[in-house]
Amino acid sequence: MDKAITIALAGNPNAGKSTVFNNMTGARQHVGNYPGVTVERKEGGCTHNGFDVKVVDLPGTYSLTAYSIEEVIARKFLIEEQPDVVVDIIDASNLERNLYLTVQLIELGVPLVLAFNMSDVAAAQGHQFDLEKLSALLGVPIIPTTGHKNKGTAELLDAAIEVAQQTKGTNPEMVRYGQEIEQAIANVVDKLEKSNKLSYSRNRWIALKLLEGDDDVASRHLSAELRPVVEQQITEVEHKLDEALPTATASHRYGLISGVCTQCVRSTIERRHSISDAIDLVATNRFLGIPVFMGLMYLVFWLTFTVGAPLMDLLDGSFGWLAGVVDGWWAPGAESALRSLLVDGIIGGVGGVVIFLPNILLLFLAIAILEDSGYMARAAFIMDRLMHKIGLHGKSFIPMLIGFGCSVPAIMATRTLDNRRDRLVTMMVVPLMSCGARLPIYALIIPAFFPGAWHAPLLWIIYVIGIVLAILSAKLLRSTVLKGESVPFLMELPPYRMPTLKGIFIHMWGRGWLYLKKAGTIILGISILLWVMTSYPKKTEFQRDYDAEIAALQTSATTELQEEGLAEIENARMAETLSYTVAGRIGHALEPVIKPMGFDWRIGTAMIGAFAAKEVFVAQMGIVFSVGEADEDSDDLRDKLKDNYTPLIGFAIMMFSLISAPCMATIAITKRESNSWMWALFQLAGLTVLAWVVTTLIYQVGLLFGLGVV
Amino acid sequence: MAATSELSASLEDYLEAIYHLVKEKQAARVKDIAERLHVKAASVTGALRALSERELVNYTPYEIVTFTRSGEAAALDVVRRHSALKDFFVKILLVDEASADSAACAMEHSVTRPLLERFVHFTQFVEDCPRAGTKWVRGFSYYCDHDSKQDNCEKCMRTNLDEVIQKKANKGAQAMTEQQLGSLKPGQKAKIVRVALADAASRRLVEMGMTVGTMVEVIKVAPLGDPVEIKLRGYHLSVRKKEAEGIYVEQAML
Repeated sequence: MDKAITIALAGNPNAGKSTVFNNMTGARQHVGNYPGVTVERKEGGCTHNGFDVKVVDLPGTYSLTAYSIEEVIARKFLIEEQPDVVVDIIDASNLERNLYLTVQLIELGVPLVLAFNMSDVAAAQGHQFDLEKLSALLGVPIIPTTGHKNKGTAELLDAAIEVAQQTKGTNPEMVRYGQEIEQAIANVVDKLEKSNKLSYSRNRWIALKLLEGDDDVASRHLSAELRPVVEQQITEVEHKLDEALPTATASHRYGLISGVCTQCVRSTIERRHSISDAIDLVATNRFLGIPVFMGLMYLVFWLTFTVGAPLMDLLDGSFGWLAGVVDGWWAPGAESALRSLLVDGIIGGVGGVVIFLPNILLLFLAIAILEDSGYMARAAFIMDRLMHKIGLHGKSFIPMLIGFGCSVPAIMATRTLDNRRDRLVTMMVVPLMSCGARLPIYALIIPAFFPGAWHAPLLWIIYVIGIVLAILSAKLLRSTVLKGESVPFLMELPPYRMPTLKGIFIHMWGRGWLYLKKAGTIILGISILLWVMTSYPKKTEFQRDYDAEIAALQTSATTELQEEGLAEIENARMAETLSYTVAGRIGHALEPVIKPMGFDWRIGTAMIGAFAAKEVFVAQMGIVFSVGEADEDSDDLRDKLKDNYTPLIGFAIMMFSLISAPCMATIAITKRESNSWMWALFQLAGLTVLAWVVTTLIYQVGLLFGLGVV
Repeated sequence: MAATSELSASLEDYLEAIYHLVKEKQAARVKDIAERLHVKAASVTGALRALSERELVNYTPYEIVTFTRSGEAAALDVVRRHSALKDFFVKILLVDEASADSAACAMEHSVTRPLLERFVHFTQFVEDCPRAGTKWVRGFSYYCDHDSKQDNCEKCMRTNLDEVIQKKANKGAQAMTEQQLGSLKPGQKAKIVRVALADAASRRLVEMGMTVGTMVEVIKVAPLGDPVEIKLRGYHLSVRKKEAEGIYVEQAML
């Protein structure tokens, strides 16, 4: 006997599916994406009664039509991968709507077990269920569970294994659609049976879907000869019923559900004001709603960046220490490519990414709490009007806000968006929210070129430009590449629930691990590449004889002068070295392209380095201007900038930094989250082109108005 | 054809056909009548002659046919009988329209006037009587499809009693009028009567449980004025104003 079985978990969003999943699998789970699409696929496993059970968590859906990518995936999985049993998680406190999916699963004829979840909530609401009768009427076993108390999990597994071993399916003719539709189904089934060898129940399902105008099924089963038959049936039936077929069938399903519910559910007095309603009295209140939302967002920000900061410093410190240890393996001053690779390339590059881990864990802690408690839906409810105006979704607001901190967690936060298209648009425009790493650039440049009174307004203008560009880009994407939204925005506002610690930690850890593992591998590669580009080829013959100059200086001048002179010479050598490297050469080669923006090769070279992380720009500028180790407070560097560039160029640098892709981690995470290099490269190219166009425009128009002269 | 005081079944069919043609096209021609009743044009002229002898229609060969005053009344009577029967079949027996139509066609001629009145009254009665009503009829449909046991009777009776009491309490209950869901104020409840949106949108709404006849309650409007939170089938849903405007409801009597 084969002792391995596969269970697919189906259910409505908010039915407590992930809690049941966590109960079944514990920490043994794997989060990934379905091939080629931005839909999460969670898998886990356990052993039960000697069976090796694999559990696949299907995307949460309300229905099994081809309405959304999630539904298509769930259905495809059920049909093509044929799990041994499907467990449908039902929110007992919301029975009628949850049964809609159940009825469709029954019609699909899959081996089915119902998990009657949250029966405690339903009981508190005054509902009593006759589960025996419900089970008899639906023809499927029903197991009561209480997800957050981990009750009924073992029984559920027992039942699932039992059903998996039987071959008995459900009754696909559960719903009778009335004479007209039934006749049409029979006619189409007739034709189907002549051309394929599928079972009657599968053909009935196919016929029904064809009549409902399901594109996905049509592309598989609608042959050229069948098409006119189906079309004629649809026209006839719709004429007779004076109703569109898909809504007619949906109504019939709900009709059956209502009938079943009247027989099996006894409702005592409905409690009008549950705790959940009481919370909403404040949380979505006309006047308090927005302040409460803003307050909570501030808290998320504070938790992610303020609480995270010391942890980040700690990690930064440990990487610094590690770099020091590794550095110590070589004799001081010795030239070694391996040391440079290890210290500057790998530890510096990967460390630069890993230090974001505390932020990411904390952010996902906050998001998990907001989501599991049910507040996220309220946040979207509050912000939807604003976000809808720019072609996005209420839920896009949170990632956009987080984007002001760091694009990487922001892009990961787009996972809360259910719709793939909304998610991709949000992902694409999030980098335009000016992130924390760009701040050092502004902090360096603004004081270098502009008088004090201008500082704050300028900074504000830069952030606003970012927001405006994000809005415009979102609109543009929405009306071009990611067009199409005939679907209505319907979002459930689930009752507030106490999040479970287990759920939150699994959520948080899952994200953190993903970040480390996947982004880490790509980032490691790019780090090495960037290191090579800024280190090679090595220059051996210099324009000046630095060593001789140093020697001369050491014999002639005083100690004070010596130190100053030495630094100057070393810096000049570094500048020349960088100019000779691949990055420097690219910087030179790029000059004609970046010229219209007012940039010279030095800025170009610094920008290439800045792709590792935006704040690196400052250090790189320090190197090309031979001022040594520079940070954003370096007055030397500011003087150099002031001598070499006009304020207009300064502004152009800030614009380009604002708009162009923030860092390689962002692109890597976009690749990971969108599950496609295409989108990652599209984002990179799109942002770069946009940055070039906008910066050039600003610079050229500025020149016209005579702003270019100092 | 002998002239009797009562019209023959076939002549009544002619009157009915002419009535519908006049309604549709303002006038009836022999060719149209023949087409509608699936008979030869010659039979039509025969029948028209018989009708015009009874002064029910004005008929001259090759001209359009019109009703006389008494003819129109007679036609109306036939049509009324037909629709009364059809109503009964569709609304009470829940037979589909096509079968109801053909059955009504066959029966309309033989049903006597008093019996017909009974049919009309009974249909009315079932719709109005609190012990019956449309819900009761739907129960009948369920009974036809399934073996039904009488175990939910007390609950059903009790709800009906509640409704009667409520109706009495709202003596001057306002007339039910159709309005948009978007125009309801928070706290108001209404019943969905139709969803007039694009196909995909309607379909999604219906899938989320917004079928015709479902009660919805507007809970609140979002702080920025859109979307709207509604409650239906025991759960809360956020709907944008745009969609809410395509959902037509009737306010409940409360």
